[in-house]
Amino acid sequence: MSELPVGRGPVHITLQMGPKLTRPVPAEVTEALLSAQITATAGDRSGFQLAFDLTKNGLINRTLLPEGFFDPKTRVIVSVSVRGTPEVLLDGLIVRQEVGASNQPGHSTLTVTGEDLSLLMDLEERTDRYPNLPPSERVLAILRRYSDYGIRPDVYTEKVSQPPHQDLRVHYQTGTDLQYVNELARANGYTFYLEPGPNPGQSSARWGPEVRLGIRQHALNVNMDNNSTVDQLTFAYDGTAREEPQARWQDPGTRQSTLLPQPPISPLRPPLGKRPTPALKRRTLSGTAKQQREQAEAELLARAAVSADVISGSGSLDVNRHGYLLAPRQLVGVRGAGRAYDGDYFVKSVTHTLRPGSYQQNFTLSREGLEARSAYVRP
Amino acid sequence: MADIEPYENALDAIPGAHPYPRTSRYHDAEIGIHRQPDGTEVRYTKRRLLPPLPESGTGSGTGSGMANGSGIGSGDETQSHTVSSGERPDLLGQRYFGDPAQWWQIADANPVLDPRELTDEAGNVIEIPLAGGFPRADRGDRRV
Repeated sequence: MSELPVGRGPVHITLQMGPKLTRPVPAEVTEALLSAQITATAGDRSGFQLAFDLTKNGLINRTLLPEGFFDPKTRVIVSVSVRGTPEVLLDGLIVRQEVGASNQPGHSTLTVTGEDLSLLMDLEERTDRYPNLPPSERVLAILRRYSDYGIRPDVYTEKVSQPPHQDLRVHYQTGTDLQYVNELARANGYTFYLEPGPNPGQSSARWGPEVRLGIRQHALNVNMDNNSTVDQLTFAYDGTAREEPQARWQDPGTRQSTLLPQPPISPLRPPLGKRPTPALKRRTLSGTAKQQREQAEAELLARAAVSADVISGSGSLDVNRHGYLLAPRQLVGVRGAGRAYDGDYFVKSVTHTLRPGSYQQNFTLSREGLEARSAYVRP
Repeated sequence: MADIEPYENALDAIPGAHPYPRTSRYHDAEIGIHRQPDGTEVRYTKRRLLPPLPESGTGSGTGSGMANGSGIGSGDETQSHTVSSGERPDLLGQRYFGDPAQWWQIADANPVLDPRELTDEAGNVIEIPLAGGFPRADRGDRRV
């Protein structure tokens, strides 16, 4: 993220491809790049789509495409450099390619679609048992299998510690690694995502709470005449999104079932708005009675925390006008949207759209209540 | 890194935990702690060692900008620039990176100690790192 507005300096995009170890692509491939679209989401898979111009006698059509340069499972690394500071946007694998041959010259395109490296974890199903391992240790054991792609685990212990008892229960994994890791993250109110960078070929796999603390990114200005940095911004407030989960737990010794107390969600979700939204819905969680007590408590906390974000915003900005790259999965300030909707938001997802001569970002924001907690945002 | 961090550490790796932004040459510098005799701790930035100069003819293999036509096989990470009179390192930074504050990348790629030596004499040929490349192959693994 640059610290000063973008001058007239160019935005450089670097493309690297290869089977497992990547290298910069030939210059002809770069010149043929028509557009790149990259989506990064919190707690979900990131995807990308690259469109290339396909000339009849070009290098791509004659050599690279038949030789398997764009085959599925080819690794792609896209990094952009805004004002001399490079940033890795994507580290992923090609899943699918489409060739659109056209009768008009210059209209044939090759479109390559893919997902980020978490696709590797979703390829094969396995059954595995994890005796005497708490959830974070299980995630770490799974993530260590993928270190050859430069994925470094960034795993945190659970908020509600769940000491395992091998003689009471042994945890089994069915399904793919990614499904199991996501399931464990959901049960603890955490998110799991791969974040590419800081260097090409590295990425860190974060299994932990969302980053809702720290220095905010540079604020998005809307409705501020020539100081506006955002093209458009819309907010929605869904009152029924938040629910108050109820969980009963049965003591195996006395057969007494008790209603678990409502945990405070502020450790996982530090409040961003001044007026928290009351929960209109009450849901009873199923299957908590026969779990261990700590597991039931963790699930109760997770469900309460995940449903707390009732306000969602979406908009788009031009990087050249905003001056900075908006990074997903961090906090950002908004000003100019009025008293109710100003303040800090969590950036849920960002879609980068790069074309020669333009760099657009579409983003979605979320928060749990109206009104800002402070009178200022970071400019 | 390859171990489980306690839950409280999730609050340490937050954005802004490092005093220098991503654009700064000190972003990857280590932060040391000096203990004074009375026990108070003073945080300071350790000395930044200049990165090794790129050997001519052997690319180090890290990503190099390909927007300017350096394709497979050409491993050089820099382009040459002939100094004309009236140029300054910050003007070159604006010209090649779009940011005058990035002049230090040019100074890092040349064997000079004083950045003013870069543009002292018109006609000097200096090396400019390619924009879009990652200048520091040995950068730390911090992302905030």
